[in-house]
Amino acid sequence: MKFFFLFIAITLSVATDAQVTKVSLQASGLTCSMCSNAINKALKTLDYVANVDADIKTYTFEISFKTNSNVDFDKIRKKVENAGFTVCGFVATIHFNNVAVRNSEPVTIGDKTFLFVNMKDQSLNGVKEVKVLNKGFVSSKEYKRNTFSVPSPGTYHATI
Amino acid sequence: MKQQFFIALVFLSQSCKAQELYSMTEPASNMASGSIGFRLDNSMMNEINSPTINYHLVPEIMVGLSRKLMIHGNAFFSNREKKFAAEGGSLYAKYRFLSLDAVQRHFRMAAFGRISSNNSDIHQEEINMYGHNSGFEAGIVATQLLRKVALSSGFSYLRAIDNGKNNKFLYGSKSSKAVNFTFSFGKLMLPKEYRDYRQTNINLMVEFLSQLNVGSGKYYMDIAPSVQMIFNSQSRIDIGYRKEMSSTLLRTAPNGFFVRLEHNFFNVF
Repeated sequence: MKFFFLFIAITLSVATDAQVTKVSLQASGLTCSMCSNAINKALKTLDYVANVDADIKTYTFEISFKTNSNVDFDKIRKKVENAGFTVCGFVATIHFNNVAVRNSEPVTIGDKTFLFVNMKDQSLNGVKEVKVLNKGFVSSKEYKRNTFSVPSPGTYHATI
Repeated sequence: MKQQFFIALVFLSQSCKAQELYSMTEPASNMASGSIGFRLDNSMMNEINSPTINYHLVPEIMVGLSRKLMIHGNAFFSNREKKFAAEGGSLYAKYRFLSLDAVQRHFRMAAFGRISSNNSDIHQEEINMYGHNSGFEAGIVATQLLRKVALSSGFSYLRAIDNGKNNKFLYGSKSSKAVNFTFSFGKLMLPKEYRDYRQTNINLMVEFLSQLNVGSGKYYMDIAPSVQMIFNSQSRIDIGYRKEMSSTLLRTAPNGFFVRLEHNFFNVF
């Protein structure tokens, strides 16, 4: 079943030249600056991260990336979890170049496959903010509200 | 006594804002994976019916092995036997088995254990694995963070054995077992609003520490208020006072000041 899904995903997906330029991440489970600093410093150890701009007040981290690097979302999530906390919001800023998307149909962007949900079929152009909805990228409450099947690694449910 | 309870009530009744890096107990949260912390615990305890001050120094290293497991290793020094000398050490491990996070709040539970070795003479019925007795302690701790307030409670079982250098546990094997119950309250006082990591954080803590000896049924109950400052989101100083509120156990120096210095290094390995 998984392979069938993967096959479908690969054949249906459209390869595009879109670039993830930024991620805005919100962490949960903390209030103090020492905890925030642990996340901040952990995120900076990723080799594709150019800069982390932390807003301690709102527990958000604006992460910018080195140009032409492969941005691994799961490694970012793991850095937060290893610091002892949880990601409860994950919005990627992606530059699209005429990408046609349809509800729940896979689109390949770089090394990632997105399944866009809860949105109209459209052609994406320019800079868009894409909210990732996978487990571990939204609060457990929000994840439970959505009833997606578990996607294969590298595939993300997302919405704009 | 009345006053102490009043102080505690005032703290508890304030609307929710605080922290969980307690001075006398450990919270259920762990340090970040791959980080290393160094601590220097100093306590100056007044010996009862004597002008003597017992100085205890405990240097400690803490390692975050994974997001769920951390270990501490420390050494015990004191001047209790006239000359300042090394008396032993302990190994502590804590495993976080439950973590429910939400924005600005969490509920966590962890299991912990400590093995201690000590060569000093045994001089009190109180069992203390942090610089007095050889033996072990095992327990669980639960911590709730609600915005700037953190509440934590721990329960543990302690078993003392004879200390080294032929220093026997004097009160019989029945009285070598005890349970500890702790309740800790912490509140982030400053800054009112975070802007950057260099702002100094000030936390106020009040901790209640109690022990019940399983064999003798004797107990103690202490209160330990403290002020904590966190610098650069990396270093901290805790200054506090531990005071016996009530006790039926023989204790030689239950009251005194303590100062903890700590510095953390993130992403070391």
